[in-house]
Amino acid sequence: MIITNLRQYAPLLSQYTELRSQENRVLSIAYLKGNLVQNVKNTTAGISARVYRNGCWGFASTPNMGDVKSVIEAASNNAMFLDARENKGLAPFAPDSPTIEKSFGTSKPRLTQSQIMEFIKQIDAYIAEKYPNLSSRSVRLNCLDMEKTLITSDGASLYSLLPRSNFGVSLSLDKGDGPVEVYESAGGLGQFEDNFTSPEDLYETIDKLYEHLVKKSEGVYADAGVKECVMDAALAGILAHEAIGHTTEADLVLGGSVAGDYLGQECASPLVTLVDLAHTYDGKDLPMPIYIDDEGTTAEDQVIIDKGVLKGFMHNKQSARHFGVKPTGNARAYEYFDEPLIRMRNTAILPGESKLDDMIASIEDGYYLIRPSNGQADTTSEFMFGVVLGYEIKNGKLSKAIKDTTIAGVAFDVLKSVTMVSNEMKWSNGGMCGKKQGIPVGMGGPAVKCKINIGGR
Amino acid sequence: MSDALKYCAESLRKAGVDKFQCTLTEKQMYEMNLEGTEFSLIRTTTDNTLNITVIKDNRKGDIALNRVDHESIDEAIRTVIEMSSTSQQDPDYDISPKQEPQQFVTGPQEPDTDRMYELLKGYSQQVPVIFPQIKLSESILAFNQSVRHFINSNGVDFVTTKGMYSMQSVFSSKDGEKTSSFNYTGFSLKELERDLLDCGSLKNLLQQSVEHLDAKPMQGKFVGDVIITPDCLSDIIYFYVASYLGDRALITGTSLLKDKMDQEVANSKLTLSAKPVSTEIADGYFVTGDGFAAEDVTFIDKGVLKSFLLSHYGSKKTKLERAKNSGGCWVIEPGDKSFEEMVKGVERGVLVARYSGGNPSASGDFSGVAKNSYYIENGKIMYPVSETMISGNLLELFKNIKEISSERIDFGFSILPYVQAGGVTISGK
Repeated sequence: MIITNLRQYAPLLSQYTELRSQENRVLSIAYLKGNLVQNVKNTTAGISARVYRNGCWGFASTPNMGDVKSVIEAASNNAMFLDARENKGLAPFAPDSPTIEKSFGTSKPRLTQSQIMEFIKQIDAYIAEKYPNLSSRSVRLNCLDMEKTLITSDGASLYSLLPRSNFGVSLSLDKGDGPVEVYESAGGLGQFEDNFTSPEDLYETIDKLYEHLVKKSEGVYADAGVKECVMDAALAGILAHEAIGHTTEADLVLGGSVAGDYLGQECASPLVTLVDLAHTYDGKDLPMPIYIDDEGTTAEDQVIIDKGVLKGFMHNKQSARHFGVKPTGNARAYEYFDEPLIRMRNTAILPGESKLDDMIASIEDGYYLIRPSNGQADTTSEFMFGVVLGYEIKNGKLSKAIKDTTIAGVAFDVLKSVTMVSNEMKWSNGGMCGKKQGIPVGMGGPAVKCKINIGGR
Repeated sequence: MSDALKYCAESLRKAGVDKFQCTLTEKQMYEMNLEGTEFSLIRTTTDNTLNITVIKDNRKGDIALNRVDHESIDEAIRTVIEMSSTSQQDPDYDISPKQEPQQFVTGPQEPDTDRMYELLKGYSQQVPVIFPQIKLSESILAFNQSVRHFINSNGVDFVTTKGMYSMQSVFSSKDGEKTSSFNYTGFSLKELERDLLDCGSLKNLLQQSVEHLDAKPMQGKFVGDVIITPDCLSDIIYFYVASYLGDRALITGTSLLKDKMDQEVANSKLTLSAKPVSTEIADGYFVTGDGFAAEDVTFIDKGVLKSFLLSHYGSKKTKLERAKNSGGCWVIEPGDKSFEEMVKGVERGVLVARYSGGNPSASGDFSGVAKNSYYIENGKIMYPVSETMISGNLLELFKNIKEISSERIDFGFSILPYVQAGGVTISGK
C-alpha cells in the first residue's frame, strides 16, 4: 500500500526535493512443456526522497512507509556529503508544478488466482492437444502494476497506476536437425481483465504462430549481405528505440553518442519522423502513458527526427538546463528505491502512406523481417538485432521462411535508405529496457522498407 | 532468528502446508555515481525481501514481499497458499533436505565512504589525464551489505552475512567527429586497496576504446580464429550454460549435450568450474537458491563434461544429477601460452572484446557483432574493426579451442583468461 497523501509531508521539504511512494506488483506464471515452472507473486513497496543541493543529488529509500522524515534527512545528508566536497554552486531548477491523477487499472471485477491459472492451463492444453508433434512449448504470463504517488518541493503532484499484462507463447519443432523455435506475445497496457477475456481469443494467434513454425522448420538460411528489406513494426520499433532512441537520450549525448554531432542535420530519409511520445497518439492511450515524470515534469512528446532532420534529445531537468531547453518529462524510475534516469516512453517512427502489400511487391530479391529476438545498439548507432521470424521476398512475393539470423548496421545509415513507410501503426510493451535499472517502455511503428545488412548462416 | 522469519515459519506450520522454505534478506546499499567526470549522486537504500515457497499436495506457490510486519506476512501466506492450491500437481516440487545449520560471513560490513570518495575522485581525475579522448558515461562505486537467512521445514538453517564493493564504468571515446563504440566493465572487491584503474580490465578497455576512434570495417568474409577476451568470455559462458547445461535446455530436451555426461564435449585444454566458495573468488556465495550449501564444481574437466547446471527441481524432472552450486563465479584454468604468443599463432582472425548479438538459437548457433574488436593477420593485431560480424555454434566453438592464455583477469566474481578458438565465420563489409 502506498502513501496516498504525500502532501502532508510537504512542510518537511526544505530544499528542492522529490518525495515518492511506490509499489510494484508482479505476477509471473510460466508453463514449460506442460510443467508449471513459475508461479510467483512479488510486491515491492517503499518510499524514497531525492534532494538537490547546489548541483549535487542525494537519494535515500526505505521500505518502511513510516520513515518519511528520516528518509528525507538521509537524502539531504547524502547531497550535503557531495556538496561539501564538490562545491559546484549550481542554482536550483526552474520550478514546475503540474498535478495529475491517472489510473489505468481495470474497472472490472478482479479475477482470482484460480481463474487466472485456469486460463493459462487452458491455453497450454490447447497447444498440447492440437499440436502434439511439438518438441517443446512454453506459455508465460507476466503482469506488472506500477502504482505511485509523487510530490516535489516545487508543488508538482502525481498519482498513477500503470499496469501491463502480457502473454508470451513459444513453440518448438525438431525434425532431427536441431530445434526450431518461434515466439509471439499478446497484451499490453492494462490489467489482465482488460486485456484477456477468454483463452479462445488467443487461439488464432497460436495457430498462426504454428503455421510460421512449420514454414520456419522448412526454412532456408538468409543470403548474407546488404539487401532490400521490409522491417515490420516490431523491428522498426526496436530500431527506433535501441539504435536511435538511446543515442538521443541527453545523458548519452553528453557521454559522447554520435547523435550529438547531428543536431539540426539531415540524418535520415525525409520519410522518417521519429518521436518519443508521452502518453497518447491518434487519440489513443499508448502502451506506457506518462503524464508527469518522476521529477514532477509535465511529460510532452519529444520529436527526435522530423522529416529526416535531427531535432532534439530526451531530457531530465539537469540535462535540459545544460542544453538550454525545456525538460521533456523523460525522467523515470522503476522501483521505489531507484532514482529517475532519462528513459524513453513510447518511441516510434510515425506512419507514412504506403501499404505493406505494396512495399513487399516492390522488392525483387529481399526479405520481410517480422520478429526480433533481443537487440543491442551502440552510442555510434551501430546495432545488431536477432531476427527469429522472416521470409524471403522473391519477385515481389513472400517466399520461403528464413532460419534465425541477424541484422546489423549503422542505424542512421539505415534510416537514410528508407524509401517506403507503411500507414499502419502497431504497438507493444512487453519488454524491459535496461540502463542501470530495467524499465517498461512502449515500442512500435509502421513497417519500413530500407536497405540492411543481413547475416547469413 | 529474526522475529519476522520466526513468525513466518510458525504461521506456515500452523497453516498445515507440507513443505515450506523462507528466505529473509536484509540489504543496505551505499552508492556513489559519476556522470562524466563529475560526482552526480550519492544513493543509499535499505530494503528487505521475504521469499516464501509452499508445497502442499505436490502443488507449489512462491511469493516475495518487502514488508515484514505480521499483518503483511499473514496476507502473503494466505495468498501463497491460494496460489499453490490452484497450481498443477508436480511430484518433482521439493525443498532441500536437512543439512547442518551454518553461518557464513564474508567481506567488510560497513562502507568506508571517505575511501570510496577518494578512489572514485581519483578515477575521475586520472582518466582525463591518461585518456583525454575518453568520455565517461556512467561510473558507479557501490557497497552492498546483506544478511540472508534461509530456513525450510526440513530444518535447514543457513545465515550468510556479506559485504562487498563493486565498480562499474561505461565509456566511449570522442575526438572531433570521431566516436568509438561504448564499452563497459565491472568488478567486485572485498577491500578498497588499489586505484580503480588498476582493477579488473578497466585500464586495458579504456585504452582499447581510444584506439577504436580509428576503427574501420573489415573487408570480406572468411572462416578463421577468434581470441575471446576475458570480459567477452563471461557472455559466451552464460550462453553456453543456458544452451546446453541449464534447467530449461534439459527439461525441454533441446540441449545437444543431454546425453554427453562424462564424454569429451570441448577441447582438452578447457577446464571450466564454478567456484562460489573458493577463496579465489571474492564475490561468491554459500547457499544455492533452492537451499543447499554450495560447493565448488568443475563442469568441464579437460574437455570432459562432468556436471550439468541443474537445480533441485530440474534434477528431479530430468532424473539427472543436481549441480552442487547455482553456477556463476566462473573460473577457467590458465593455459601455458601468453596472450602475445596466442596472437602470433593466429593466421587470420579477430580479437573479440565484446559480443553484441542475439541469444543463440536452441542448438547454440550464434551470430552477432564483434564490438570493440581487432582484426588479426599473420600473427599481428592489425587494426580495430567496426561492423564486423561473427557467427558459429557454441558447441563447435568449445570443441575448436586452440589455446588458453596464461594471463587471467580477476573480476572478483569470476577469473577468466583469453581463449583462442577456430572455425568461426567472420564477415566484414
